Parts: sequence; C-alpha cells; structure tokens
Amino acid sequence: MPNLKELKNRISSVKSTRKITSAMKMVAASKLRRAQELAESSRVYADSLGFILSSLAGNTKNSSDLPEILTGRENSKISLLIINSSDRGLCGGFNSNLFRNAKKWISDQQGQGKSVKIMTVGKKASSFYKKTDLDIVASFEDLNSNDRQLQVSEEIKNKIMELFESNEIDEVSILFNKFVSAISQEPTYQSLIPLSNEEAIEDESEVNNAVFEFEPDKNELLEYLVPRNFLTQIYRSVLESSASEHAARMTSMDNATRNAGDMIDRLTLTYNRTRQAFITKELIEIISGAEAV
Amino acid sequence: MINLKVVSPQKVIFEKEVEMAVLPGAEGDFAAMPNHSPFISSLRPGQMAIMSSNKVDESFFVSGGLVMLKEKVCEVLVDQIEPLSDVNSSNYQQSKTYQELEGNETALGTFEQVVNNPPYK
Repeated sequence: MPNLKELKNRISSVKSTRKITSAMKMVAASKLRRAQELAESSRVYADSLGFILSSLAGNTKNSSDLPEILTGRENSKISLLIINSSDRGLCGGFNSNLFRNAKKWISDQQGQGKSVKIMTVGKKASSFYKKTDLDIVASFEDLNSNDRQLQVSEEIKNKIMELFESNEIDEVSILFNKFVSAISQEPTYQSLIPLSNEEAIEDESEVNNAVFEFEPDKNELLEYLVPRNFLTQIYRSVLESSASEHAARMTSMDNATRNAGDMIDRLTLTYNRTRQAFITKELIEIISGAEAV
Repeated sequence: MINLKVVSPQKVIFEKEVEMAVLPGAEGDFAAMPNHSPFISSLRPGQMAIMSSNKVDESFFVSGGLVMLKEKVCEVLVDQIEPLSDVNSSNYQQSKTYQELEGNETALGTFEQVVNNPPYK
C-alpha cells in the first residue's frame, strides 16, 4: 500500500511543476507575439531589397556578367550550412527536428562529393555539434534581444563574405525552423550562395514595366547590394527561427501543463483511495476487536 | 505629392506624402519629386531633407542605404537614420546612431558636419 505522506509530497511537487510550465507558456505566448511583429515589420525591407536586386540582376542579360558571389562557383566543393537553433531548451522537438534534418542534408552533400562546414547559431546547436567531428567555423550564442539578433546577423554576413573570398567555402545555405503557424514549424533550407532566384521569377512581370536607371553603375551597386541582401536574409531567418522557438515552447508547455493536470488528478485519486482504505482497515480492526470481547 | 517611405532593416520608420525630398545619392544629392524617371541609387552618408515650397520641413541624418524611385513612390532603405530635430552639436554623440557607427570615421565625420552645419536649412 502506498505511503500517504509520499503521495502528498508527490502531488505538491507536480503542482509546482504545473505552475512553472503554465507560467512559461504565458511568457512564450507574449514573446511569440513580439517575435511575430518583428518578423512582419522586417519583411518590408527584405521585399524591397529583393525587388531591387532582381531588377538589377534581371537587367543584366548575360549571367556571366554577374559576380561569383551571386551565381555561385561552377565547381563547388565545400558547402557551409548555417544552423539556427535556440539558446534554451524546453521547446519540444524544435532543436532535435532541426538536427535530424541537418544530418540528412549533410550526408546528402557528402554523397555528392562535397565537404561540409557548419556555422551554429544558438547554444543548443553549438553544444550538439561540438560532439560531432564536423568542421565548425563559427558559433554564435545569446540571441536574447532584437539588437543582438541584428548584430549576430551582421557578424555572420561578414564571416561568410570573408570565407567566400578566401575560397574556403563555395556554397552557403541556411537552415532554420520556418514559422508556419503557432502549432507547426518546419525546418527549411535557403540557399544564399548561389542566390535562390524564387523572388526574381515572381517579380519578373513587374520588373519589365519599369526600366530603371542605376547610379552608380550596376556593378558598384551590386557590390553594396549583395552583402545587404545576405544580411537581410540571415536576419529574416533568425527572426523566423525565434518566432518558431516561442511557438514551439508555447505548444510544448501547454502539453506539459495539461499532462501535469492529468497526473495530479490521478495522484489525488490514488491518495483518496489509500486514505479511505486506511480508515476502513482501522474500522475493521476496532469492530473485530469489539466482537472478540 | 510623392509618397516617401523610409524603411530600416527592422521596421518601417515612416511613410508619408511629401512635396519633395532631397537625398544624398552616391554620386551627388538629388531631389525626389513626382514623375521622376525610374531610378535606383545607393546613398552616401548625409542629410535627407523633406521640403515644401523651398523650405526644409524635416531633416534627418542617414548613414547610407538605397533608394528606389518610380512614378509617385520613393522608397528609401536606410542603414541608420537620426532625426536632426532630436540632436544638436552638444548631444549628438550620445545618440544611438552615433554609437552604432563607431569605427566608421567617414560616416561619423559627416554626421558631425550635418549636425553642426546641414547643407539644407
């Protein structure tokens, strides 16, 4: 028969766990709203920049005129993958999904005869990849404020420009959890070098309507635009990832709160039954004692 | 009137109808007015002035960026921007923009110049 005192302790500890998880859920919900707003408001800049870039690239008929950093190298051998994880845990499958996906991608690349380098964002990724034998070129942690997110994006941009120019990498992709809805996030890849041209195709009709004059000339503009574009793409992925993180944490904490509630119900039931059993047992003892006399 | 939209990587700073905006283009200042030919330019550090009937209504320091002009729309993608109404020669070094530009001597020099003696007044 379970010990009553033990049961009582158990119940109170699960109750305090429930308090914590429900508080975390609330915090994640409010942070999610903020992160979503940020992602939304940064979209205007990214869209305009994409439009300018595609009208520039679209105007250059011959793609060989474009710099390597836009079109990629012909014989690419080394890929860099930037992995956007979270700094903290307790967010369900957020990080493990990402790492599983990355593992597949890495072995795909290696299957094509390319070697893979890794750049990690967030504590979870850096501690996870430290244990593997992959080549980590840089790690970034503590993305706890919006200014810091922008600063990290800037540092990542500088790093990839530097690595690309010194021929240490030929391709760059970025992996992040795309924010689909509050209950669903999906690991998504985006190619930075070569530049994925989805946006360019979308805007094509619009671009043809207006022929822009450029100042200074196209190449100089591209020199300014390409790094800017990296920065916005990276920044965007960091924001998406942070919105996804809060969403994932909200859902998993909601589940945890519900589970704790169920557990408390079950434990309370056992507690009451045990208590009743004790009372019955005592009564039986008294009655049978009285009968014997 | 031309629709002037100023955007930073983080957010839309403002969007409004103006008569004319003077911008520090990479190869010289230019004025954005309605029906300007479609035009894309990068910006150098300098003063952005919103003007009406030859007077400056509002004035900003921009550290660089891009501008896209077409028909009645002028989109300015800025790196950093600081309204000049908030700063003067004694406190501009405390502004956020100044601190973010740390190390960028040319931009800081221009900032100082624009604060003390803006080209458009």
